[in-house]
Amino acid sequence: MEDLVDSLTRGNVSQVKTVLASVVAVLSAYQVFLMAVGYGKVNLPFLKSKAASFAHRATGDMILVVTLLVAFMCLMYFEIGDGIEYARGGEQTRATIHVVAGSLLVAALLLKVIVVRWWQRMSRFLPALGLTVFDLFLVTWFTSAGNYLIGD
Amino acid sequence: MAERFSHKRQVVGSLVAAVLLVVVTVLLVTAKIGPGLDSTELREKEERQEERLEQREERLEERRED
Repeated sequence: MEDLVDSLTRGNVSQVKTVLASVVAVLSAYQVFLMAVGYGKVNLPFLKSKAASFAHRATGDMILVVTLLVAFMCLMYFEIGDGIEYARGGEQTRATIHVVAGSLLVAALLLKVIVVRWWQRMSRFLPALGLTVFDLFLVTWFTSAGNYLIGD
Repeated sequence: MAERFSHKRQVVGSLVAAVLLVVVTVLLVTAKIGPGLDSTELREKEERQEERLEQREERLEERRED
C-alpha cells in the first residue's frame, strides 16, 4: 500500500497531501458560508436558501471523498505511530494533535453523513455537527499542511 | 433578485464558485511548495543515501578490524 501511495503521487506524498488538505479546508469554510445562507443567517439577493443547501450537499460529497483519500494516504504511508515517532524534532505534540484531530474529523464527517441520510431524528444537531467538522478541518490543516506551508 | 435566477442557475453558480476556490487554492499551494521530486529523482536520492550508509558501515567495520 505504501508503494501504491508513493507511485500515485510520484514520490511527492507530503506535497499532494498538502494540496488536497488545503483544498478541503478552503471548501469547508465555503460550506459554512453556504449553510449560513441555507439557514437564513445570511441573506443574499442572488442566492436562495434552497439552492445554497443543495450546493452544500453536492460540495460536501466531494469533500468527503477527498478527505477519506487524504486519510487513507496518511494511514498507509505514514501510519499513526510512525507519524508521531518520526515527527521532526520537538514536533511530537503537533503530530499527536494532528492524528487525534484527523481521526475525530473522519468520525464526525461519517456521523454527519449518517445523520443527513439515515438518522434524520438527530438533524437538529446538524448545525453543531457541521461547525465541529469545520473546526476539526482547521485544526487538522493547521497541524499538518498549514505547518508545512507556513513553517518553511 | 433571487427570483430572477432559477434554482438551477443558483446551484450551478454556487458550484462554479466552489470550483474556482479549488483552482485558486491549488495554484497558491503549488506555487508555495514549488516543483517536487519525480519518482526517478526520489529513487536516485534514496539510492545515494543507501550507498552512503553502506560506505559508512564498511568504514566502521574496517576500523574495528584494525
